[in-house]
Amino acid sequence: MTSVLTPFILAAAFAYILNPLVTYCEARGLRRAQLVVFGYLTALALGMSAYAGLKSLAVYEAELLQARAPAYLKQVQKFAAAQQIQLTKKLPLPPHVAQQALDTAIGGLFDKLQELPSHLFTLLPLLAHMLLVPFIGFFFLLDGPDGIEGLIQLCPSRFVEQAIHLLSEIDTALGNYLRGVLIVATAITIASFLGLVLLDVDNAIVIALLSGASSLVPYLGAAVGALVGGGMAFYQFGTFSAAMKVVALFVGIRLADEIFLQPVIAKHSVHLHPMAFLLALILGGELFGFMGLLFAIPAACILKALVQVSWSWYSSERGLALGAADGSGVPYT
Amino acid sequence: MSALKSLKRWFIDPNFSRKKQFLRSLEIFKDLRDGDLGHLVAALHSRSYREGEVVFVEGDIGRALFILESGGVDLTRHGADGKPAPLYSLKPGDFFGEMALLESLPRTATATATQKTHLHLLYKSKLDALLHGEPRIGVTIMSHLARLLSARLRRMNVDRTLVTSKND
Repeated sequence: MTSVLTPFILAAAFAYILNPLVTYCEARGLRRAQLVVFGYLTALALGMSAYAGLKSLAVYEAELLQARAPAYLKQVQKFAAAQQIQLTKKLPLPPHVAQQALDTAIGGLFDKLQELPSHLFTLLPLLAHMLLVPFIGFFFLLDGPDGIEGLIQLCPSRFVEQAIHLLSEIDTALGNYLRGVLIVATAITIASFLGLVLLDVDNAIVIALLSGASSLVPYLGAAVGALVGGGMAFYQFGTFSAAMKVVALFVGIRLADEIFLQPVIAKHSVHLHPMAFLLALILGGELFGFMGLLFAIPAACILKALVQVSWSWYSSERGLALGAADGSGVPYT
Repeated sequence: MSALKSLKRWFIDPNFSRKKQFLRSLEIFKDLRDGDLGHLVAALHSRSYREGEVVFVEGDIGRALFILESGGVDLTRHGADGKPAPLYSLKPGDFFGEMALLESLPRTATATATQKTHLHLLYKSKLDALLHGEPRIGVTIMSHLARLLSARLRRMNVDRTLVTSKND
């Protein structure tokens, strides 16, 4: 059931994120249907150009990797030999024991690397959604506010104001969070790409894209970037200091995000207690896997909006909310 | 030239222009610029009501301003005898429930559609968003609301003075 609903949920999120752009153009008197079609055609043209560019870049990076692979391997062997010497010098171990320890460590790493393709295969259904999501999202975007207006029309007339109140609160909480996350993902992608290029790390674009995409799950972006980028730097240069430079880069990006971006985003975003934030992430991951991690915070935002609206209704009905300003003592002049 | 015109016609939404024209004709929005009205149209919700359908009930918590585009709405209030007494009949172009934009307090009257009616709703949080995002629009609307309330208060003061002097 989850797999059937996944593309629809992703498409709804896709349309929801793009909707403000369409609404902005609509506020200038343009027709929604034409705007959406025009937007899709433009995106298609840009996508095809990007594909052409990325294809050549990917081929170039693959050729580069193929050409440099023997050198990288030599680097790793050199590093392993150096570590063996160090290990035998520092510890009172016979050379064959040190060799065995290193073989076990490197063998474990290679085993993990061999498992990587099977992990990648689990992402294939998500790649299939990459075509399906914009297709379904097209219809969501086309309908736009008509769907909401239809719901309002169906709602019993006396509860229309309450229904709009609820929708409005969810829209505020969810919209600000999703737009904030997208801003962070874009900033992390650009910053990590520039940083990796400056550090002369190979496959900078792939690592930057991976880091940016991972940052859709809170806190994951910088960690993935540091791990993959650091691994790449170590593989490429064969030194720990190169890997540490990349790790430092991603720590810097994470700090810059926390200092410069988060205050701006959080100003308009929903405020979740860090414990609630973590609980949502753990529950989401546990119940729905990667998709759960992706949608845990938006779901928590909706839940928080529901609680806030329910409390607002209850307090208004019971007269608990603050009333009108009392200026009765002063005559009108 | 004609091709350009037909392309423009293909892109421009006539329904949107009609809504803007309607809003411009209202006292509360008359000072808004063309672009501002566009943002306002995007912020409005619409709903159609059948004859006799209740828009809101006296005592309900108000959260939106209603603008009557077509049809008719009667405002009634429960009197001391418990029966609803007619207060006012609204015609197209009138707006009501504006106090909800300032405070979330119970409605002081019941609004009922007297015929097939089309209403636009400006929800409080949308106005708040306009106040922050497009301050010109929010300030213009708030300024009109303040003038409206001031006029009502002044009229009420005059009425009360008249009643007091009659009693004396």
